[in-house]
Parts: sequence; structure tokens; C-alpha cells
Amino acid sequence: MIKLKGISKFYKPNIYALKDINLDIAPGEFISIVGQSGTGKTTLIRLVIAEEKPTEGQIVIGGWDITGIQTREIPFLRRQIGVVFQDFKLLKKKTVFENVAFALESCGTPKNKIINIIPQVLKIVGLEEKIDRYPTQLSGGEQQRVVIARSLVHKPRLLVADEPTGNLDSINTKEIIDLLKRINELGTTVVLVTHNREVVNNLRKRVITLDNGQIIGDQSKGRYLL
Amino acid sequence: MLFLEISRVIKFAVQSFFRNIWLSVVTVFIIVLSLVSISILLTSNILTQHVLSVLEEKTEVYIDLTKEATTEQAQVLVSELNKLPAIKEALFITPEQTLENFKKRHQDDPLIIESLDSLEENPFTGSIKIKTHDISDFPVILNELSKKDYSRFLEIEDKEFTDAKLLITKITEYSKKIQNAWTIISSIFVIISILVVYNTIQINIYTQREEIGIMKLVGASNSFVRSPFLIVGMVYSLIAVVILVIISYPLLVVLQPYVDSFFQEYSLNLVEAFAENFIKVIGTELLIATIITVSSSYLATRKYLHV
Repeated sequence: MIKLKGISKFYKPNIYALKDINLDIAPGEFISIVGQSGTGKTTLIRLVIAEEKPTEGQIVIGGWDITGIQTREIPFLRRQIGVVFQDFKLLKKKTVFENVAFALESCGTPKNKIINIIPQVLKIVGLEEKIDRYPTQLSGGEQQRVVIARSLVHKPRLLVADEPTGNLDSINTKEIIDLLKRINELGTTVVLVTHNREVVNNLRKRVITLDNGQIIGDQSKGRYLL
Repeated sequence: MLFLEISRVIKFAVQSFFRNIWLSVVTVFIIVLSLVSISILLTSNILTQHVLSVLEEKTEVYIDLTKEATTEQAQVLVSELNKLPAIKEALFITPEQTLENFKKRHQDDPLIIESLDSLEENPFTGSIKIKTHDISDFPVILNELSKKDYSRFLEIEDKEFTDAKLLITKITEYSKKIQNAWTIISSIFVIISILVVYNTIQINIYTQREEIGIMKLVGASNSFVRSPFLIVGMVYSLIAVVILVIISYPLLVVLQPYVDSFFQEYSLNLVEAFAENFIKVIGTELLIATIITVSSSYLATRKYLHV
């Protein structure tokens, strides 16, 4: 699903965010990327969603070499990747329905399709009852579930979650992780970036540990090492 | 599908317009100022062209015939002159008509009339009245006439032509000065408009940074992200032009007496001229306004949207 070959990213004058990253993620995998703050986890995600370009190396997503991706091609890549961030990035003046619909409207989806898709994704995240609520009327966990629902509207083969539980308490964290596991079971590859030890240890899935921009651990049923 | 995207882009554009309504109002006001300034430049140009064309139309040169020229010879000469492409009209004026015209011109001067009456015979020879298509052709025609065989029938004196030419040159110079000044003023307004629109779009982008971020994240096409801001620019132009049309009529009505008193017999009915050239004038204004807004919007989106 994702192949990173000798990926390095440095910022001028000579600051390395990532150094010689080699990583192979198979379709349908659930992988956690862990590491302390500033170790390059988010940079790695930004490279995968073509928010940035690598200084060296090659990135292939689902057989598509996106190393030198053109600006006009990025939207097509993004439609294949669901992205969830720590800050929920929801529009406060729009309801749950409108927030999810906004993603589809922006990509030119017809209205009848939007009306069909939204209840389906909201059912997956368990928010079908709160379709008309505004973000401020939802808990942090529910808001994050709306974001996950929005990221699922294009039926992505890959879901990237960068610290999705960073702003949540332990109960909401568990709910979100369970949701990600469920999405993974439906066949979507999930890349979870976190520094939550408990989450990683409970998952018992593959764990990539980053330190100082380099991979220092890759365990198939790993634990939080640092 | 295309219609759907267009309608959504327009929806986002309208949202963008109303979200910063006061900023939009100020932007439209600045564009209106630019357009008014450009309109004054255009109007001054139209007025000058009108005055010059009336003046040229009215400019005619009388070439006196020598005493030895008979009426038949004069008429042959006139028909020859009418064949020259540069000449619009050549007309034979008999000595009697010339005398009559002269008396008419000086009817308020009893001394001249008395002196004329005291003469036993008509002192005037016949003359040929010449009108050209273009006043700048006069020297060429006069030069041509001097060379030809029939020059012995004509007393060529180009004072009348020189006077007309001088007047036209003066008007042209004067209007050029006015137009240069207005060109500078208009350019300043256009530059201010470009800067204002650029900054307005920048603020619009800033205000909608969350929506833009989400759009880009979920894979909205670059054109979908950029287009609402270009359309907002066009909306500014359209509203500015509509305001210009609304204020133009009363403004022209107010201006008319001043234009009449300044240009007198050469004056132009501004409202009529505006109505006659409505499509041309509005088209030009809309084109200029659209170029201003769309180019600045495009530059702003290039810099701040990163798409």
C-alpha cells in the first residue's frame, strides 16, 4: 500500500526531519507510528499526503509513485486517502451533516449521492442520531468521529490519523481507537501516529518507532518502546 | 456535473462576498472610483474627437479664381477637383454669390457695405469651395493644385487653411494635456484598485482558511478551491459597473451645461452619446474592471492558496 524507499527530508540550512526511511506497509495493515515530539512522525504523514515533497527517496502509494507529484494531481491522491488530525478541523457553523457533505460538495459529488453516502458513514462512526447537531453540541470524541466520517466519504483505501486522540480523555480515546480498528477490519489500511503508550500497547499491532528522524524499531505486534 | 460544480463555486463565492461585506463594499467603491476616472478619460476623448470632427467637417477653403477664368473653365475645374479622392466636395461659387456672402458676413459693418455699393462693378471673382475628408490633406491638395495646368486660374492662398489647422492643433494639444493628466490619475486609481482587490482576496482567503484547508484535505480540485475567489473578483467588477451605470446618467445631466458652455457650438449631448455607445462603453468598463479584479484575485490566490 505504501512504499517509502530511502526517504529523507531536510530543511535549510541543514536540519534533518527524516533520514533514510525505508518502510513497506501492506494493504489492510494497521500500523502505529510512535515517537517523541519532533521525531518526524508528522513530517512522514505530510509526505504521504503530498503536503510536502521528500528531499531524497521515493514514495509509492497504491502503486502510484508520488515522489514528484504535480500540484494538479494532488487532489486525486487526497481522494484516496482519508486524513484525521488532532485538531478536529470541523466548521463550527455547519451541522454534522453539512460538515460531512462539505467534503463531498467540494469534490463535485451530486446531491443525491451525498444524501445516500452521509447516513452510511455516520452509521459507521455511530453518529446517525446526531446528524443535525453542531460541533459545539458534541463531545470531543464525537467531533473526532465526525472527522473520521468525513474522511471515509470517498471510501479511501488508506486512512491516516495523526494524533487523533491527542485532545481526548481515555474513554473517548478508546472509542476512537475501536472505531479505527473497525474501519481497518472493513479493509482500509490505517496508519496511526501517536505517542499514547497505552493505545499502542493495547492495540498489539505493528509498531514503527521513530527517533531523531530515523526508524529505530519495527515490530509486527509491538509495544511502545521509548 | 459541470453545472453542479459551477453552482457550488458561485455559492462559495457569494458566501465569501457576504462574509466580509464591508470589505466588499469598500473594494467595490474603489473600483467604482477607478471606473469613474477612466470614464472621464473616455468622455474627454470622445468629446475631443467630436469637436475635432465637427471642426474638420466645418472647415472649408475658398480658393479664388483669377480674373481670366471663365465660368465654363471654373466648372471644368470643379468637376476635375471632384475626381480627386482626397476631396470630399468642390463647389463653384459665382462672383455674385461671393458678393452676396460677403455682404451677409459684414451686414453689421455699414462702412464696408457702403464702400461695396459705391463700386460700379462686382470686385469679386468667382471662387471654388473645397471640403476634404481629412484636414491634413489640405497642404497636399493645395500643393497639387499649384502644380497643375489650371493653377493659372487659381489664386492659391492658404491662410484660411492655416487658421483652421492652428485651431485644430491647439485643441488637439489641449486635449492631449488633459488626457495625459487623466491617464495618470486613472493609472493611480487602477493601481490602488489592484492593491485593494489583492488585499481583499487575501483577507477572504484568511477568513475562509478552515474551509480551504478542509477542501484541500479532502481532495477538492485546485480550480474548485481557487475559482470562488476569482468569481468574487468578477462580482466586484459587475457591481461596480452597475453602480457606474446608475450614477452615470445623473452625472452626465449635471455635467451637460458645463460642457455646453465650454464647447458651445461644438458641444455634444452626453446622455445621447452615452446611450448610443452604451454597449461599447459598458463593455469597455466591464472589461477593464474584470481585468483589474481577476488578475489581482489570481495573483492573491497563487500566493496564498498554494494551489
